[in-house]
Amino acid sequence: MISASTDLRRRQDNKIAWFFCLPALIGLTFFIFFPFILAVFLSFTNLRLGSPLPLEFMGLSQYSRIFTDTAFLHALKNNTVFALIVVPLQTCLALLLALLINQPLRGMFIFRTLFFMPVIFPLSLVAVVWILIFAPGPQGTLNSLLELITLGSWEPRDFLHDPHLALPAITITSIWQGVGFQMVILLAALQSLPTELYEAAKVDGACRSQQFFHITLPLLKNPLIFVILVTTILAFRLFDQVQIMTRGGPNYATTTVMYEAVSAAFGSQQVARGAAMTVVFFIIVLALTLLQRYIVRQEGASS
Amino acid sequence: MQKTLRTFITIFFLFFLLPSFTGCKGQQDVKNDSLGGKIQLEVWAHAGQEKERKVLEQQVARYNQKSSTAELHLTFIPERNYNSQVQAAAIAGDLPDILEFDGPYLYNYIWQNHLLPLEGLLSQSLIADLLPSIIDQGTHGSHLYSVGSFDSGLGLYARKDMLSAINVRVPQSVSDAWSADEFKDILRKLAEEDEDGAVLDLKLNYGGEWFTYGFSPILQSTGADLIDREDYQHSTGILNSPEAVAALQNLQSWFQAGFIDPNLDDAAFTTGRVALSWVGHWEYSRYKKACPDNLILLPLPDFGEGSRTGQGSWNWGITRNCKYPDKASSFLTFLLSTPEVLAICKANSSVPGTKNAVAQSELFNENGPLRLFAAQLLGGVSIPRPKTPAYPVITTEFQKAFQQIRNNGDVQEALDKAASNIDQDIRDNHGYPFRNFQ
Repeated sequence: MISASTDLRRRQDNKIAWFFCLPALIGLTFFIFFPFILAVFLSFTNLRLGSPLPLEFMGLSQYSRIFTDTAFLHALKNNTVFALIVVPLQTCLALLLALLINQPLRGMFIFRTLFFMPVIFPLSLVAVVWILIFAPGPQGTLNSLLELITLGSWEPRDFLHDPHLALPAITITSIWQGVGFQMVILLAALQSLPTELYEAAKVDGACRSQQFFHITLPLLKNPLIFVILVTTILAFRLFDQVQIMTRGGPNYATTTVMYEAVSAAFGSQQVARGAAMTVVFFIIVLALTLLQRYIVRQEGASS
Repeated sequence: MQKTLRTFITIFFLFFLLPSFTGCKGQQDVKNDSLGGKIQLEVWAHAGQEKERKVLEQQVARYNQKSSTAELHLTFIPERNYNSQVQAAAIAGDLPDILEFDGPYLYNYIWQNHLLPLEGLLSQSLIADLLPSIIDQGTHGSHLYSVGSFDSGLGLYARKDMLSAINVRVPQSVSDAWSADEFKDILRKLAEEDEDGAVLDLKLNYGGEWFTYGFSPILQSTGADLIDREDYQHSTGILNSPEAVAALQNLQSWFQAGFIDPNLDDAAFTTGRVALSWVGHWEYSRYKKACPDNLILLPLPDFGEGSRTGQGSWNWGITRNCKYPDKASSFLTFLLSTPEVLAICKANSSVPGTKNAVAQSELFNENGPLRLFAAQLLGGVSIPRPKTPAYPVITTEFQKAFQQIRNNGDVQEALDKAASNIDQDIRDNHGYPFRNFQ
């Protein structure tokens, strides 16, 4: 009797759970699952935006084309380089800022607002402002600043059109814009750390760096993992800055997978080609996420 | 990730969901059709500069006041997403009666069978009054599908004092444009006099379509082109012909010699940093203000087969959705009347689209300071962008090639790649066949 009633209860609970999940599930199905299946399907066709011709299957040729396309290969490389630089740098910077802002000083909220502000600005606005900062010639903000610092020995550079400087320029913009977000997450984590541990450490005579490495860092492990994961995914979908600041140039130095996909689908109207690129993009992000989860689990088991 | 999704949601909606909503939309339209006894017509136009928008609003109001049978409703659509909006509306069966569109997209819309031929709808005398460039661009097969109240053109603006300082011949018309060698020599001499050696503005601050519009005339001036215009089936052998490669290598050498100003501030010419600016009619008023007594307008250099210029601008067409084409065409006739043409041209400082209006325009008549632009369009010096639905691919590929050339990449390699990508797209679409109509 008892087991039957709990079973019934559980079944009802299940039903209610499904009911509450329904809106989210419908949304996910329509806006994530279907479009993705559609993208996979379209990547095997010759679909061109608005074509009156019947759809034709081309097998894997969209894939073989993008993997022999220099622009796309550059895009993959740039994304990788960008993520390799941005993820560690931005995470460390965010942690540093969070530690600084966590000091119990008066007026700290001003700094917190200032550091978080770029996150609220639309990316397009940020990009335009940084175009002005990177402007070539001696009148450019950064050029004139560097000239001042180096006492006039700096040669003005055209940052956004220099094949070696364009990607670093975009990297700086991105970090400046994005770091506030990670900072806020880490700050929240820092503020929830139990103070007793620090008091105990003080009693034991641990110095501040010992406190940081043996208390703060281990306790921040989970938020840090989250921040690293999110930053990696955000780094791979780099698009706005490229679209506005460099349009993928010079010589593909700043093109990204997202930029190539959007310009294929909407510039050349080759939707199928764009779809193939986004499928590749999805697989990369999925693989990275799985890899990170795997590493985390390994560490969790060892500790 | 979200961007990807948004992209596919758009497509998902475009192809599968929107058609199911169109039933009710259509009914609504029918109900509104004869509101207050007047036939209601939808007009879509691009949201250009404010001045231009205002004039078009006034024109629609004037037409509505004048006409006792038709009432127009004007909707402005942002220029950047214009084509995507049109594509979405077309799939939803929700195109307006009268549609404005940028010239090169015309053939795409004809291919998709969205537009009505205009011959029976506009008077012969009106068509005869249009600039030949507008007729050329509006014609596909044996039909005229679009008309425009204005057109565009390219030229070299020059500071007179800087040219006289190096003592060079000043061309008086298109036929005696500087030759390519002469031009390079002039750049060199100007650079010797110049502080930083950058003497030519190519409007590198512009994006996208400018590069095709502004620099494909170089190809055509050597006898090459973007694509074979006989049947629009292949670009290989045309875009990467030896003439095209040589001409663009020449262009690249200007970059290598440091003659080109990056012009990020869009003030290279107005502040006097450069002596020459390679740009269209639209810069006249700004340049005139910057150097009122020192400005001259010259044709682009001749790379062998005569100086060539770009052409084409926003055009009007009537869609197959329109149930009263005669009423829609009466609006086009109204827009093409001389005072209306002059009104819009004054607002966006473009070349008037009819011969009558050109003759009456202070800037473009026989003695006007911008006569060159009108003369180029009247004299067949201008070349419309390729008249094929493959144009979006052609222009993206040429833009990519141009960027590579600008950044010191190998010219032959860049053009080979562009040509083969264009050909591949044409093959994928079976040569973009026009069916059922023509």
